[in-house]
Formats: sequence, C-alpha cells, structure tokens
Amino acid sequence: MSSEVVSRLKKDYIYNLMLKGQREDGRQFDEARDIVIETNVVDKAEGSANVQIGDTRVMVGIKVQIGSPFPDTPDKGVIITSMELNPIASPDFEAGPPRPKAIEMARVVDRGIRESGAIDLSKLCITKGEEVWIIFIDVHVLNNGGNLLDAASLGSIAALMTTTIPYEREGRGEDIRMPIREMPIGISLIDVGGELFIDPTYSEEAICDTRLTITSNQDGSICAMQKSGAGSLSEAQVLKAVETALERAAVIREKHLLNI
Amino acid sequence: MDHNIVIPGQMLSEDVKSAGHGTYVKNDKVYSLYYGVANLKDRTYVVPFSGKYIPSRKDYLIGVVIQLTSSNWIFDIRSPYDGLLHVSEYPKRVESSGMKRIMDIGDCAILRIKDVSKSMRTDVSMRERGLRPLKDGRLIEILPTKVPRVIGHNGSMVSMLKKESNCDMFVGQNGRIWIQGKDHEMDRLTEAIDMIEREAHTSGLTEKVQQFMNNDPVVEDDIVSGSDESVDQGSDASSEDNDDTIPEETCRKIDALLDDAEDA
Amino acid sequence: MKVFAVRGKFENKFGESIMSDKPEYFIDENGLRLDGRRTDEIRPMTMEMGVLSRADGSCYLEWGNNKVIAAVYGPRELHPRRLQRPSEVLVRYRYNMAAFSVEDRIRPGPSRRSTEISKVSGEAFEPVVMTQYYPGAVIDVFAEVLQADAGTRTAAINAATLALADAGIPMKGLVAACAVGKVDGQLVLDLNKPEDNYGDADLPVAMTQDGEITLLQMDGNLTHEEFIKAMEMVKKGCDQIFELQRKTLISRFGSEDDVEALEGSIETEPEEEEAEELSEEEVPSEKEDVSDTGDNAEDVDDSGEKFKEDVADFDEQRESGSDEEDKTSDEDVKDEEDEASDEDVKGEEDEQ
Repeated sequence: MSSEVVSRLKKDYIYNLMLKGQREDGRQFDEARDIVIETNVVDKAEGSANVQIGDTRVMVGIKVQIGSPFPDTPDKGVIITSMELNPIASPDFEAGPPRPKAIEMARVVDRGIRESGAIDLSKLCITKGEEVWIIFIDVHVLNNGGNLLDAASLGSIAALMTTTIPYEREGRGEDIRMPIREMPIGISLIDVGGELFIDPTYSEEAICDTRLTITSNQDGSICAMQKSGAGSLSEAQVLKAVETALERAAVIREKHLLNI
Repeated sequence: MDHNIVIPGQMLSEDVKSAGHGTYVKNDKVYSLYYGVANLKDRTYVVPFSGKYIPSRKDYLIGVVIQLTSSNWIFDIRSPYDGLLHVSEYPKRVESSGMKRIMDIGDCAILRIKDVSKSMRTDVSMRERGLRPLKDGRLIEILPTKVPRVIGHNGSMVSMLKKESNCDMFVGQNGRIWIQGKDHEMDRLTEAIDMIEREAHTSGLTEKVQQFMNNDPVVEDDIVSGSDESVDQGSDASSEDNDDTIPEETCRKIDALLDDAEDA
Repeated sequence: MKVFAVRGKFENKFGESIMSDKPEYFIDENGLRLDGRRTDEIRPMTMEMGVLSRADGSCYLEWGNNKVIAAVYGPRELHPRRLQRPSEVLVRYRYNMAAFSVEDRIRPGPSRRSTEISKVSGEAFEPVVMTQYYPGAVIDVFAEVLQADAGTRTAAINAATLALADAGIPMKGLVAACAVGKVDGQLVLDLNKPEDNYGDADLPVAMTQDGEITLLQMDGNLTHEEFIKAMEMVKKGCDQIFELQRKTLISRFGSEDDVEALEGSIETEPEEEEAEELSEEEVPSEKEDVSDTGDNAEDVDDSGEKFKEDVADFDEQRESGSDEEDKTSDEDVKDEEDEASDEDVKGEEDEQ
C-alpha cells in the first residue's frame, strides 16, 4: 500500500529535528504525551480500560472463564494475551491473522504481566488439575498514533486492576477481585542518532531502527525487556534507557494506576 | 444566507438548472451529495468538508516516489490513483539504470498531470519549467479540500505567505505543500498553514493570517476576536472585483507554481 | 423487580451460549417494556464524529448499551487488483466484534456470522454511495463493536453512515438502521437484549431518508399483517435516527473545542437552524427557503465568495471524475486558462 512510503523530505525533517533533541510535536526527547485512562468501559467484560496516549487509543478487555490448567501448573490460573493491529487503527494495518509485529507486542505485554507476578495465579485455581480461571487479555487497537506497546501494557494492567472473578455467574460462590500483587508498566524508547526518545509518535517510529521496551515493577525492579528493530544499542544507551523507563513508570503508576 | 452546513441527501433547491457540483437531481429537485457547505446564491453547489484528492488534467501536484519500473517512476499523489511518470516525461534523457539516481523511492517532485484516462490511469509530466525533484525544504500535508484557501483569491494568500515568511512555497492541488527557508521562518509558515486549514470555513481569513504573520503568536487570541469587523470589509471589496472573472483559477495555478527555476 | 420463571444456560440464535434469565413477560400492564420504553420507542442514542485521527472519517456511537466505533479509509487504492471494479468504487465493509464485547469471549477474527453481516451491511451502502466517482478504488468501512447489547449490526450501520459523511464520501443520502421484533405477541421497536434472545421475531432494516430499503433481514415468525405494521414501525424508528444523525452533523462545527473555529462559525449558526427547520417540516415548500435566503443575502459577509474558489477547484476534480458529457466543453475553457497560466509563469520568471 502506498501509504507505507514516507517521503524523504518528511523523514529528513523529523530526523534532523531529533538530532537536535527536538520533536515534531514540540516535545522534549524525554517528554511523554498526556495519558488518559478510563476503566470499566465495557460492561460485558470482567474488566476493561480505554487508554489514550496522545492520539493513540487502545481498548483492553479482560474476559474470565473456567477452563483446564496446563499440565505442568495444575494449581494455577492461565493468562492468554492477544493483540490485533486492527485495520480501523491505521491505513497501514490490514485485516487478517496477527502478523509478527502484533504477536511480538502481545507477547511483550504478556511477559510483563506474567513475570512480574502481577496476578497471583495460585488464587485462580478452582479444583487442582481440573478447573482453573482463564484470564483472557484482549488488546483492541483503535487508533495508531505511535507507541502502541506502552498503551497496550498500561491498558492491560489497568483493566486487570478493575477485573472481577465471576464466581457468582458460574454459580460457585461470591465474586472476588482479581488477585493483583504488582503493577508492571512497560516503557518504550527509540534510538535516533544515538539519542533516546520516550513515547514515540508513529512518524518517529517510522524513521527509527531500534526500540527498547523495559517493563518494571513498583520496587523499581525490571520484569521484562525487549529490543526490537534492525538497529543496535550501546551498553550506555541501554543503561540510560533503563533509568529513564524506571522514572517514567513510577510517574505513571503514581498518577494513573494507584487511584484505580 | 448564502451558505449553510448541509448533509448528504438534504434538499437544496427546486431549480434544477442551478444544480452545480456536489449535488444531484432527483424528481426535479436538487439535493446535496456531501457533508459540507452549500452555496445557494446563483448556482447551487456543495463544497465538502473533507475528501481525497482526485486527479484532474493539468493540475500541479507534489508526488512521492513509491516504486520504480524500467521506464516509469510511480508516485503516490495522495489519491486512490498513483501518478505514472514515464522517463520520456522527464526533461532530460535518462537511461533506465540512471533513474534511481535522479529520483529514488521516498523522493518528492513537483509534477503536472498530463492525462487522466477513463479508468483513472494518471500520467504525469515534468517537462515544463518549474517542475522538478524536491531535494530539500519541508513537506506539509493538508486536506485537499482546503487547498483553495491556502492559495487564496488570485493567489493572494500564497503571495502574502511567501512575502511575510521569506520562504519559497509551492502548493500542490493534492494538498501537499512544499516550503523552503530558514528554520524559524518555516516553523512560522507551518503554523500559519495549520491555522488556515483549521479555520478554512471562517471569513476574513487572509487578514487573520496576515496579522498572525506580522505579530507574535502570543497575541493570536486578540487578533482573532478583535479584527473580524474591519477584516470582512476588506475582503468583501477585493472579492467583489474578481467575482465573475475566470482567470482566478489561472492565477491560482501560477501562484502555486513557484518562480523558482534553478533546475532549468 | 421482575419475576423470572426460567433460569439457566441458553443458546441464542447465533449459537452463542448465554447465561440469562427469561422474563415471565416482556410488556407490562401499562404497555411498557422491561426497560421502561413504549413499544415504538428506540433506546437513547449518542454519536460523536471525528474520533480517530488516522482514519479519513470516524464516528463513535452508543445506543442503549451498545458501544460501536466506525472508521472510513478511502477512497484508496485497491489490492489485490482482481477485486477492482473498472467503472466504480468498491465499498468494503468489515463488521467485527471485540473479543470482550459479549458475555462469553469470542475468538478474534472473522466468523461466519460477522462475514455475513459485513456483506449485507456493505450492500446497504452501495445504493447511496456515488460509486462511479472513484473507478477501481475501494472505500473501506470498519465497524468495531466494543460492547454488544442487541442490535449491533444496526448500530454499526448508523455509525458507519456518519463516518462516511465525515470522510467526505459523496452519498445520495444518509442510511439509518433499526430493528423491529415481536415479544408477547406484540411488535416492539429496537429490541433490547432479553427481547432479542427470547423474542419471536427479529427484523433488522436499513433505509435511506426517502424510504428505500437497503438492508433487510428477518428471522422468527411474523404474520403478513404484523410484517406490514413492523415496516411502518421501523420507518418511524429510522426517522428518529435520521434526526439524531442530522443534529450530530450540523452541530459538529458548532461544538468544536477549537475556539477559533467556533468564533468563525457563530455568525452562521442561527441561519443553519432556520434552514434545518425548513427542510424537515416543509419539504414541499422548499422554495420559501430559497427566497428566504435570497432576502438575507444583502446583509451577509463575503463568505459566499470565499467558497466559490473552493468550488472552482472542485469543479475541476469532478469533471475528470464523472461528468463525461460535460467534459469536452469544459476542457476548452481549461485549455484557455492554461495557456494564460503558462504565459504568466514566463512573466514571473522574467521578473526574476
């Protein structure tokens, strides 16, 4: 599709600005766009969140159902994370089964939730080896204004925090809140000319080679990382990126998650 | 009132002869085809608020190369249809192997539409003065339906913008605008163009923009609210003059074509 | 509140299992439905346009507990080529339910149900979209159901209409859609969830403002008389929706958060409303409207002029796009213009 080709003039403009540490929308390299989170936006879901980061908009819905545990974890609930780059969200997205880009993002979101131990999966066992709660995290991308991964990560934890385990619906007693123990937040940075930029727009993403996503916990520990793209990063850059991501995650947690 | 916000299917007039563009006639009545602004004065026509650029013969536009074949550059022209530039329509003789050096994927150029076939195959040309690859400067994209506002009556808006900003400027009919100048001048001009796009449906625009270009952006609010009265007078007079003259369209195209021919 | 007779797990008509309670009755002694509506009343509906920055047109719609977002991309290039229609644009419609939009999660991706709905919904727009304007291209309409509560296909169509208008697609008119069903032996407009699940009939219809039916599906059981009455009811329902759509469109540029745009449009607002009333109530005497505007012509600003140039530009586009007959005559004029322009270009260069 023709929209995939970005004109060299535009690329050059954005690139040259970024070399000076400036950005197309007037932000600083370490300045993020405003975030708006609404929770419980879908009654039919057991938990949900609508996240806007600038123009980017994703909706995350959590469905909870009874199913069988994995054989190697008979007493633990199951998390299944899906993300689709819906054609509604961008002229570049096409209908069809998820492509590598979408699968990678879903898996990075999933790792953040899983590895941080955000959900106490042992509390989601109904009958050991037979019935456990299965948590479906579905990320529905509505508008790609860039930095979908951070929006998906933030939307997922926000939606999980509002989720109810529907014991009553299944006739098995009283509903409980999702057993949340941690608030992992993924922060992505892109590298342009050696400088790291936080919260990229889609045109900034189009000119960068490398993205690094760092998912961190409340205590400042790291639970998941992913380098993505064809470029490379220096050790100093990675260390700097971690520092920035930890700071930014703490700010978002404080401002947007603790009041959910 | 001469113009109204109208919606598709809204009846506009019973005078079938007055039916102009953006309308259709059914059962001896004229209806709107678009969500846009209708003029009901002499002719009945509707200008949509938004929409894609549809190629038309002799339009000037800015294309971005998306593909090279052995004898054609294929340009994205922000339209459902690509623009085809055959090597013979490039002003100099080019071998197939040399095409990439002149324009590669992602490069921009000022083009003119040579022909549009019935099936919308769009052939473009660069064999005219002023048509050339754009190697530097900036590219701005606006809605194609707002292009006439950026150009202005008799090209008045473009002339003013160029003069006030000290920038070179070319406005393609397809909503791509190329500008070149000092960084801060281009920043200013970009803001002015944003303002035109945002306020395209308001009156006294040329003067608002002129004041914006002359003043500090901080006082923008004052300008907008305070200047409406006097502004309308001014533009009323000037537009009355050109009311029925056809060359308006012509002037627009000239003005759009830059007086910059360093390529030749 | 209500006495429930049946309890347990059911399957609805799409084969989706649902946990729900079938009410003992749907319409009470006062003729009101479970949600308090009259039998001929639609659920509250709100719409907002221009909600997605990447799309060419978009609309978010809430109708009862339905939440739907529609976006339009195009007209744009159509791939693969074999789908291209040489003399008209393809309207491609994709109805999709978010995995979390219903009680039991649905697998992402198309199902047989969504494929059918996509097909007939796209066809509901083909009669109104001026397809001959963009030969070989495609207009993509994406309708995403974020929360489902009976009547999602009609909700999606109502949102899609405004998204198409927002994208500047030429249309002969708007399309509105609404369903009629039967519960307790009575016809009811715009089914809610229990009525949809346990009702005896469901008749979703989409139509244009002048009553052309562009989508019609039906399942269940209706007598001939009931069907005739149902069509009357659905028309009234669609009329209410047209009115809401029109209000949304007209108020869009009045309620823009952009202060400057607002200031500019203030002067035009009263007139707009006047025109609104005229066009809805006095369709036969539209002439009055015209003469009315003529009278006001003196005290208006130059805005009429201002749009003239837009039109001049637009005329040009249209010529090559559609009006094949007019083309030759206009062509001459354009050639003349063009010669003039070439001369002027030279003039400017000389100045340099």
